[in-house]
Amino acid sequence: MIVCVAVVGHQNNPLYLQSFTEADDALKLHHVVHCSLDVIDERVNNPKKSAPTLNETFLGLLYPTENYKVYGYLTNTKVKFLMVTTDLDVKDADARNFFRKFHAAYVDAVSNPFHVPGKKIASRSFGARVSTIVKSFGSGTVG
Amino acid sequence: AFTAKQKSISPNWPITHYSRPATLRVVLSSDLSRPPPAPISAMPPLTTPKSGDALFASVERVNAELFTLTYGAIVRQLLTDLEEVEEVNKQLDQMGYNIGTRLVDEFLAKSNVSNCADFKETADTIAKLGFKMFLGVTATVTNWDAEGTTCSFVLEDNPLVDFVELPDTCQGLQYCNVLSGVIRGALEMVSMKTEVTWVRDMLRGDDAYEMRVKLTKQVPEEYPYKDDD
Repeated sequence: MIVCVAVVGHQNNPLYLQSFTEADDALKLHHVVHCSLDVIDERVNNPKKSAPTLNETFLGLLYPTENYKVYGYLTNTKVKFLMVTTDLDVKDADARNFFRKFHAAYVDAVSNPFHVPGKKIASRSFGARVSTIVKSFGSGTVG
Repeated sequence: AFTAKQKSISPNWPITHYSRPATLRVVLSSDLSRPPPAPISAMPPLTTPKSGDALFASVERVNAELFTLTYGAIVRQLLTDLEEVEEVNKQLDQMGYNIGTRLVDEFLAKSNVSNCADFKETADTIAKLGFKMFLGVTATVTNWDAEGTTCSFVLEDNPLVDFVELPDTCQGLQYCNVLSGVIRGALEMVSMKTEVTWVRDMLRGDDAYEMRVKLTKQVPEEYPYKDDD
């Protein structure tokens, strides 16, 4: 199950942060997201491999903790997508698929002429769409 | 080489369409008591009207996202410049009017439509051919009043509003006001004064776009030229 998703701008400014848990642990999840940003920076500044991975947007598992796993995705405009999940074995393909849909939803949300680039995404339809993607991710891994 | 080229273009030269605007006249059923003015040219139409799909296929097209984003940027800029939502609505309507007055000529030149018998036929032509030609969608015409002078265009799909979500500060904005302006302008050019208002708007949570078109006055055709000039 995905417990939290986030969109972070290129100056590490939060654009969208949403947790999907009943319990009151939003702060903890936000902390996890925050810590993961450092991992992204590290990955980007010290690339292990060269040429073939240059255009790779999916960053893979960033930050495993006891309870959560954090996956990351970095667009070419340096916008970061993060996903915090409690699933222990997440298939790479599922995570990639999730980020692909998430990215598409983000692109549509910033295409709204009333959205100001670099500001938080206030769109309700974006929120609804992300919720749907998050829910379908859970069902996809079970099946 | 020059003469050959000239010959090849002459059959399709658009001037032939423009040279007979007098056949473009709409007679209202309520106006039938007075004798209709005799058409200047009794020549039958050269070709039959094209279908909406054929018309759409014959015009140049532009990427839908580019179009949507350009329109969004215009509305956004108007909001910044004019500050008042009401002013923006007026401005969009005026822009639409200016577009409509020009667009109607292109429509008539390319669609081969001839006289409409009444306002109902005019409305159908706009819904099935006009919308298809310029927006790639068709509208449905419904909710006629008893006199046949007021009707509604219902749009299920509106390419102007992809991605758009009205913020709370702009709830009064008629985002698609340019469309109503286009219809008003286009009909005015063919001597019909109309009032166009929006009744339903998906951006405000309705299930479709509906604009109400009311024919207020039919201006008899006046010819700008005089014999004694």
